[in-house]
Amino acid sequence: MKHSHSLAAIIIGSLLIYSCGSGPKTDSASGNAQATQAADSSMVAGGKDASSQASADEKKGTGKFTDVKLTHPLDQAMVTSGKAVYDLKCGACHKLTGEKLVGPGWKGVTDRRSPEWIMNFVTNTDEMLDKNAAAQSMLEVCMVRMPNQHLSDDDARHVLEFMRSNDNKN
Amino acid sequence: MKKLTKTGRISIPVVLLLLGALWLFPMWRIDLRAPQYPGGLTMQIWINDVKGDVPIINGLNHYIGMKTIKKEDFKEFVVLPVAMGVFAVLGIVVLLMGKKLPYYIWTGVFVVIAAYSFIDFYKWEYDYGHNLDPGAPIQVPGMAYQPPLIGYKQLLNFEVLSQPDVAGWCYIVSGIILASVAIYEWKKR
Amino acid sequence: MKNIRLLLAAAAAVAVSMPSCKMKSTAAAVEGGAASKVYVAPGKYDEFYNFVSGGFNGQVSVYGLPSGRLLKIIPVFSVFPENGYGYSEETKAMLNTTQGQVPWDDQHHLELSQTNGEQDGRWLFANANNTPRVARIDLKTFKTAEILQLPNSAGNHSSPFITENTEYVVAGTRFSVPLGAEDVPISSFKKNFKSTASFIKVDSSTGHMSLAFQIVLPGMNLDLSHAGKGPSHDWFFFSSYNTEQAYTLLEVNASQKDKDYIVAVNWKKAEEYAKAGKGKKVPAEYAHNTFDEQKQLATSVMEKETLLLDPKDCPDMVYMIPCPKSPHGCDIDPTGEYIVGSGKLAALIPVFSFSKIMDAMQKKDFEGDFQGIPILKYQDVLHGEVQKPGLGPLHTEFDGRGNAYTSMFLSSEVVKWSLKDLKVLDRVPTYYSVGHLMIPGGDTKKPNGKYLVAYNKITKDRYLPTGPELAQSAQLYDISGDKMQLILDYPTVGEPHYGQACPAELIRDKQVKFYDITKNGNQYVTMGEKNVKVVRNGNRVDVYMTAIRSHLVPDNIEGVYVGDNVYFHVTNLEQDWDIPHGFAIKNNPNAELLIMPGETVTLKYTPLKQGIQPFYCTDFCSALHQEMSGYLRVSPKGSNVPLRYGTGETAPAPTAADTVAAK
Repeated sequence: MKHSHSLAAIIIGSLLIYSCGSGPKTDSASGNAQATQAADSSMVAGGKDASSQASADEKKGTGKFTDVKLTHPLDQAMVTSGKAVYDLKCGACHKLTGEKLVGPGWKGVTDRRSPEWIMNFVTNTDEMLDKNAAAQSMLEVCMVRMPNQHLSDDDARHVLEFMRSNDNKN
Repeated sequence: MKKLTKTGRISIPVVLLLLGALWLFPMWRIDLRAPQYPGGLTMQIWINDVKGDVPIINGLNHYIGMKTIKKEDFKEFVVLPVAMGVFAVLGIVVLLMGKKLPYYIWTGVFVVIAAYSFIDFYKWEYDYGHNLDPGAPIQVPGMAYQPPLIGYKQLLNFEVLSQPDVAGWCYIVSGIILASVAIYEWKKR
Repeated sequence: MKNIRLLLAAAAAVAVSMPSCKMKSTAAAVEGGAASKVYVAPGKYDEFYNFVSGGFNGQVSVYGLPSGRLLKIIPVFSVFPENGYGYSEETKAMLNTTQGQVPWDDQHHLELSQTNGEQDGRWLFANANNTPRVARIDLKTFKTAEILQLPNSAGNHSSPFITENTEYVVAGTRFSVPLGAEDVPISSFKKNFKSTASFIKVDSSTGHMSLAFQIVLPGMNLDLSHAGKGPSHDWFFFSSYNTEQAYTLLEVNASQKDKDYIVAVNWKKAEEYAKAGKGKKVPAEYAHNTFDEQKQLATSVMEKETLLLDPKDCPDMVYMIPCPKSPHGCDIDPTGEYIVGSGKLAALIPVFSFSKIMDAMQKKDFEGDFQGIPILKYQDVLHGEVQKPGLGPLHTEFDGRGNAYTSMFLSSEVVKWSLKDLKVLDRVPTYYSVGHLMIPGGDTKKPNGKYLVAYNKITKDRYLPTGPELAQSAQLYDISGDKMQLILDYPTVGEPHYGQACPAELIRDKQVKFYDITKNGNQYVTMGEKNVKVVRNGNRVDVYMTAIRSHLVPDNIEGVYVGDNVYFHVTNLEQDWDIPHGFAIKNNPNAELLIMPGETVTLKYTPLKQGIQPFYCTDFCSALHQEMSGYLRVSPKGSNVPLRYGTGETAPAPTAADTVAAK
C-alpha cells in the first residue's frame, strides 16, 4: 500500500517535471500552471544542487544538447553545409560581421556562447527565449523573437561549425 | 306610442359614438403563429379594408392553393359602411322621434345586420379554407384550412387565433346596450 | 335609473379599452447545463472539426464543435482577395473552366473521404452547383487541391456523395439539358433533354480525380444522392423530382404527380459495362485543374472526351423506385439496409428496404417503365412509412443506435424516429425552417451520435439585427440522451447547406505547419536573400523577392516603367508555424497575397501611372511589422531610368543622371 503510494508520487513528480519542460505555447493541459509551480518549488527544495544546476542551464541553455563534441581541426564538409543553411535560413537576419541586422552579427558568437547554448537556441528557440536570461536580454535589444527555423540537429551542428570558421577557430 | 325614457334617449348617442369606432379601429383580427414567424402574423379586418401582414399570408397560402385575399374581392367593404351609415342616420331619426317603437325597430335592424355579417364572415372563411387549387404544390389529404370564426385552432404548423378587435368590441357592446335598453323600455312601458 | 346610466358608461369604457387575447409565445427553452456542454475552455480544443458548405459564397467554412467557433474559411470556387486565391499566378488556373475563369459558385454539399464506410480524414469533396464542378480539398493543408468540371451537366446538385471506399464521387444534374450543345426548342424537353449521373473515379493513393463514365437518364431533376453501404455497397441512390418533365412554372407543374422516383444505380455493373466497351465515347470539353504541392502551381488541362452509358444498352444497371411527392433527401442508414426518401411535399416519410428491392428485381415484377427504365412496385420494396412525422421532410441522418433524425422545413423541427418500428420518438423545434442537418459521421457506417447540427434557412430574431441581411443560424443539439436538447445557437458564413464533421484526432495531428523551403519546387523561388534579383525581359519584369521578419529584399526598386507587367515572386523564408507574411502594393487592382512559411507566391502588377508605389507586408508578423515595407519607382514609359534594386547598403543610390532627369 505504502509502496504504491510512493510509486505514484514518483510518477506524478516526474510527470510534473516533464510538463515543466514544455513552453507556454503548448500548455493545453489544464492545471499546468499549478504543475509548473509545484515543479519550481521542488527545484527550490533541491537546494544547492538546484542552483548549480540552474547556472549550468544558463550557460548551456535548455534543450537536447548537453555535451557537444567539437572537431579539431574544423570539418570542412560541415562548414560548407553550414554555410548553405546560413544562406537560406539565417542570412536574412544575421550578418557575418559584428553588426546587428535583425538579430546580432555572428562575429565572436562562439566566444560569447557555449556550443551547447548555440545549438539549443537554434533548435529549441521558443523555450530558450522564455527561460534563458542571456536569450531574453538579447530579445530586449533586438525586439524581434528569433523564429524557430526548424533546423535538423545536423543542420544546427553544421551551422555551429560555420560560425567557428567565421570566428577563425581551428 | 310611448315616449322613450331618458336612459333610452341617452343610449342612442352612446351607441352612435361606439359605432363611430368602426371608422377608427379594426373590427376583427386573426393572428397566426408558427416557429419561423416568432413575432407572429396578423390580419386585421376593418369595416372597409383588410390590413396587416396580408401579402405574407397570401405568399404562404399559395403553397396550399388558397385564393389570394384582396380588398377588391369583397363587396362587403362597400356594403357594410353604407349599411352602418344608414343605421346611424336611422338612429338620429329615432332620437328625434323619441318614441319606443322606432327604437325597437332600430334594434331589430342592428340584429339583422349583425347576424348577416357573422354568417357572411363564416361563409367567406369556409370558401377560402376549402376551395383550394387542385394543382397546389402541397396537398395534405383531408386537410382544410378554414380559420376559426372566433377562438383558437391549429392549422398544419400554424396556430390561428381569431377574435374581435377594438371596433368589434365596440360593436358587440352596442348590441348589448341596444338589447338591454330595448328590454328596459319594454318593462317601463 | 342612475345605475343603468352608469352601466352604459362602464360598458362603453370597457368596449374601447378591451384588450385582445395574446398568442402564447414560442420562446426557446434552453435547459440548464447547456453552457457547460458547449464551453471549450481557453487553450482547450474542440472535439470535432465541422466542415460547412458556404452556399452562395462558394467557400467552405470550418467550425469547432461543440463551441461553434469559426476556425477557417477555405476558398474553393470563389476568388479570395484576402489571401490571393484565384488572383495569384500560382492559383489562377484553379478556377479555369470552358467558359474562362469563373470566379464564384454556389457550393452546396460536402463529403469527407471514407475507407470501409468510415471517415479517414484525408480529403473533403465539395460540389459547385452553378458551373458544374467537383473539388477536392486536402485536409493536411486545408487547401483546394483539385477541381474537375463536368460536361453534359447543369446544376450539379446531387454531388459530391461518395462510395464506401471513395472509389467514386458522383455528380447528378439538377437541371436536365440536351447533351452536347444542341440548339433545340425548350418545348422539346421530353425528347431532347437528359439528366446525367456522372461517376468520378478517385485514385486511392493520390486522390486524383478523373471522369470515369456518365449514365444518361430521362429528362428530370436529380436532387440528392447517397451510396449504399455493406450489403448495398454496389448501389447508388438518387432522388428525383419533376418526373412530370415540366419545363415551365415548375413550382406548380413539377408538383402534380403523387410519386416521383428514387433512381437506383448499380455502379459496380456500370463499371463493368464501361470496361466491356458498352458505353459511347463522345467528344466533350471540360477543365481539369490540379494544384501541384511540390511545384506550388495550379495547372489547367482541357479534357476532350467522356464515356456515356445508356441504360438501354446496359440491362440491370438502373431501376426506378416510386417515392411520394418530389423527394429531396435520399439517405441510407448505417447498416445499408434502409433507404429513406424524404418527399418534401408529402405528409409521410417512406423507408425502403434494400433486401426487398433485391427480391423485387429478382422477380422482375415491374409496374411499367419510365422511358425504358423498369419501375419497381412501391408496395413491394417498402419497409414502411413514418406516419405524421411533420411537414416538409428534407434530410435524414442517423445516430448509429437505430434512430433516424429528419429535418422538417415547414414545421421547423427535427424529428427523431426509430428505424425498426417507424415510430416518432421525439421532436424538437428549430429556429427557424431547418434545411440540412448533420450528425458527425451521420451518413457513414459508424455515426458518432453525440451531437446534431441543424442548418437553418431563416434567422429572424435569433441574433442582434444587422440590417436586412442576417447570418444564417446553426443550432447544436445534444442527442446522447432520449430527448434532443438544444445547447447552442451560432451564426454561420454564407448559406450552409450540408456539413460534415469528424473527430478532431482524425485530422489534428496530420497538419502541415510550414513548407520545407529546401523542398520548394516553385520555378520562381528565391533560396535565401543572396539570390534576390530583378530581371527585365521586354516589358516583363520579374522581381525575385524574399520576406522574413521584418524586411523585404529588395525593398527599393527602380527602373520600372508605366505599362510594364511586373511579377512579384515573393518567397517567405520563415520556417516556423503560423508566420505567414502578406504582400501588397499601392493601387494594385488585382489582390494581395498571403505567403505561408517556405512558400513562394506570385502577384502580377501593371502600373498605369508614374509615381512612387509603396509595397508592404499585410499580415502582422512582429513588433517591426509596420517597418516591413519598400518602394517601387514607376517611371514614365520610354524614360531611361536604369534597373536597380536592393535593401540596406545595397539599395540604389541616386546618380548624376537621375538628378538631371528629376530636373
